Amino acid sequence: MTDFVRAAREAAQRIAACEEKGTHAFLAWSEAALVEQAERLAKADATGPLAGEAVAVKDVIAESVFPTTCGSKILEGWRSPFEATVVRRLREAGAMVAGKANCDEFAMGSSTEWSAYGPSRNPVDPTRVPGGSSGGSAAAVAAGAVTMALGSETGGSVRQPAAFCGIVGIKPTYGRVSRYGLVAFGSSLDQIGTFGKDVVSAARLLGVISGRDDRDATSLDRIPLGEPGPAPASLKGTVIGVPREYFPEGLHAGIKAASDRALARLRDLGAEVRDVSLPHTKYAVPTYYIVAPAEASSNLARYDGVRYGPRADGGLTDVRAVYRATRGHGFGPEVRRRILLGTYVLSAGYYDAYYRKAQRVREAIRADFARVFAQGVHALFTPTTPTPAFKFGENTADPLAMYLSDVYVCTANLAWVPALSLPIGRDQGLPIGGQLIGAMEGEATIIRIAQALERAVNATAEVR
Amino acid sequence: MSVSRRDIEKIAALAELGVDDASAAELEKQLTRILDYVAQLSEVTDDATSAVDERAARLRRDVVDPDSLSRTPKEIAPAFTDGLFTVPRLGELDRGEDAP
Repeated sequence: MTDFVRAAREAAQRIAACEEKGTHAFLAWSEAALVEQAERLAKADATGPLAGEAVAVKDVIAESVFPTTCGSKILEGWRSPFEATVVRRLREAGAMVAGKANCDEFAMGSSTEWSAYGPSRNPVDPTRVPGGSSGGSAAAVAAGAVTMALGSETGGSVRQPAAFCGIVGIKPTYGRVSRYGLVAFGSSLDQIGTFGKDVVSAARLLGVISGRDDRDATSLDRIPLGEPGPAPASLKGTVIGVPREYFPEGLHAGIKAASDRALARLRDLGAEVRDVSLPHTKYAVPTYYIVAPAEASSNLARYDGVRYGPRADGGLTDVRAVYRATRGHGFGPEVRRRILLGTYVLSAGYYDAYYRKAQRVREAIRADFARVFAQGVHALFTPTTPTPAFKFGENTADPLAMYLSDVYVCTANLAWVPALSLPIGRDQGLPIGGQLIGAMEGEATIIRIAQALERAVNATAEVR
Repeated sequence: MSVSRRDIEKIAALAELGVDDASAAELEKQLTRILDYVAQLSEVTDDATSAVDERAARLRRDVVDPDSLSRTPKEIAPAFTDGLFTVPRLGELDRGEDAP
């Protein structure tokens, strides 16, 4: 047995153990598929930076071994005839696709409760959600099934589940990672991100998948980020901004205690911690919930049962009836809600009041970040989420309550800046995430700070 | 902003999305609540946003790069005949042809 095949079989055992506990982190995986990939790698004598690593891939990323369903019935059983650039780069780096990770349908959600195939469970507390939309990827890493996973973000869908599951999640600068093969949700916001059991794991995976791709017109013309350096012993000379809008009166006591402790550690490491303001922060969620559904309503128009995927015709003799039946039966409640919301804000008479206004406020949010970083701040520190992981069913009846769980994370998507979440403590056993937000293309800076902070805080210790 | 049943029916038609009566009633309430929430953007004056740089859209090269699909459209389409995706007729066209 080659080292690759041994690694594949061990990964399969870990995934089986994860799924036997009812985590439901994966929508598709198999030991046979892992071994087949391992045999190909062995035959090619692969020596890349991720040689023999099994990486979970969120089910909104096109890949040819398993179906790509986006967690939706409208793509049930769908097998992509091409692979995403990130998957190609994983293979070139010697990695195997461990399986397709569960997610909210078309990445719309914050808990995986909107997956058409049932939710994933948080490995830390199975009565609670793992976060979303990339909750399956986060749960797979937190359960120890894999050490790395790919997710995607439109409004915090990597960082929020990373915080809920007590692992690391990185959302790169818009354009840093190719979107070719990432099923489109909100194209001006979407970006593939990485999960890791620690900062180095998530950063190494980002290093492999980053870099220019001619197949994505929004790809930045930059070389790949490469391997992260060693954790710095000191942060002397580093300025950390603390935006006051992220620490309101009434902030959850455990989140505040963990954040205060992390900021104390950053000071201990020699960083200068400075109070700053991002005055348009309160408008981020309303802006996001106009821009993202508007783009989704356009992007999801392609699922009509004409060119691919299941068609609900059942003897229907009018093509528009086929469209409506296919889409009406195929999409779940949250996707339908967002398509209709997006259609509404783009429709004649409402476009200026909603969509055009939201685009202008988005620019103001971006200007807030640009101004702070121009004042010598190297990174911002905030909580990742307003609460720890919530229980199943707590927010599904009220879409707005679910949307507000993204209040601290959707700003970075609107502003295109990189951001990451790392565990900074626990409150009543539940993980709490701290967020570092960087300037445009400032991934290396926030990764370096995160490496130092990771060593300085006891992420599994209770904070109060 | 109150979203009416007629609004739901209109946007569902625009989105080519079948919506049943029970869902429509729930969507009226949910969309009204969401639109009331996002209405706070009207507090932001245009002055606050006018000084911001707009990033010009970057355009990719205007050339056709063929994708290397592992399966052809014929193999993945629900219905495909003589090199074309096939669907039922558009009902409105039928009515048009029948009109005197």
